[in-house]
Amino acid sequence: MFTLVIGGSASGKSEFAESLILASPYMPRYYIATMEPFDGECRARIAKHRRMRAEKQFETIECYTSLSGLRLADRGCVLLECLGNLAANELYSPAGAGTAERALDSILSGIDQLLAQCGDLVVVSNETFTGGNRYAGETDDYLHLLADANRALARQADRVCEVICGLPQFYKGAPV
Amino acid sequence: MIFITGPLYSGKREYACKLLGCGEAELKGRAVWDVQDLAVQRGDLDILADELSQYEVVIATEVGGGVVPVDAGERARREAAGKLSCLLAQRAERVVRVFCGLPMVLKGS
Repeated sequence: MFTLVIGGSASGKSEFAESLILASPYMPRYYIATMEPFDGECRARIAKHRRMRAEKQFETIECYTSLSGLRLADRGCVLLECLGNLAANELYSPAGAGTAERALDSILSGIDQLLAQCGDLVVVSNETFTGGNRYAGETDDYLHLLADANRALARQADRVCEVICGLPQFYKGAPV
Repeated sequence: MIFITGPLYSGKREYACKLLGCGEAELKGRAVWDVQDLAVQRGDLDILADELSQYEVVIATEVGGGVVPVDAGERARREAAGKLSCLLAQRAERVVRVFCGLPMVLKGS
């Protein structure tokens, strides 16, 4: 089962995504972290998310770019958080794909690789598209890339939901 | 407590009036709005959420969408506001998102 979970800042999307993984029968639970610890704010955010997962038996794997190279030891369940950071890393990090086209290929083939290696996959992505439409150059390139990835994964996913104040709204594949 | 959220100017207060069967003047005593702006000033959001839950209706504007701001203070405001909304939604017996004036029930009936 492949679920795409989308939400804005502090929408409760991480917690909801974790609850989906905790309900999965597959073990072990892999957490693929895509946020590079650039500064104190990033490190604090990473520490917060690590605390949230501490008791939930997640094995954390850091992967900032080139997701398709990742090999999992066992066929468990996977939580990837988040697509917004992965897209930014692929575009802007020295180790990244560089162009939007190559970045999209890298992300989508990476997700395909993960799907082939796990029982359940939950991908967390970001709602960054409702705050305006006049973005210049790099920001606009980034938004296009993330939107392309979101739409491609939403087509592929079994379930797609947006989390609003911690409450999931399903656009596709609502649980019965 | 009923928690109403939604984008800016989406008709949240108008919906609250309809829900409570009252006008704007009476709404002041029964509901509280723009609570997203209270979040960043307060350290303990759990206590703030408890206090706000004493009102019949609590209204917050959604501010966590769109591009994440470059300014650290603006990011902190969005984070605090989003967390407060999650806490209010947990406490509410009903959560409604108003979008272009149209209510969508996210929790309860």
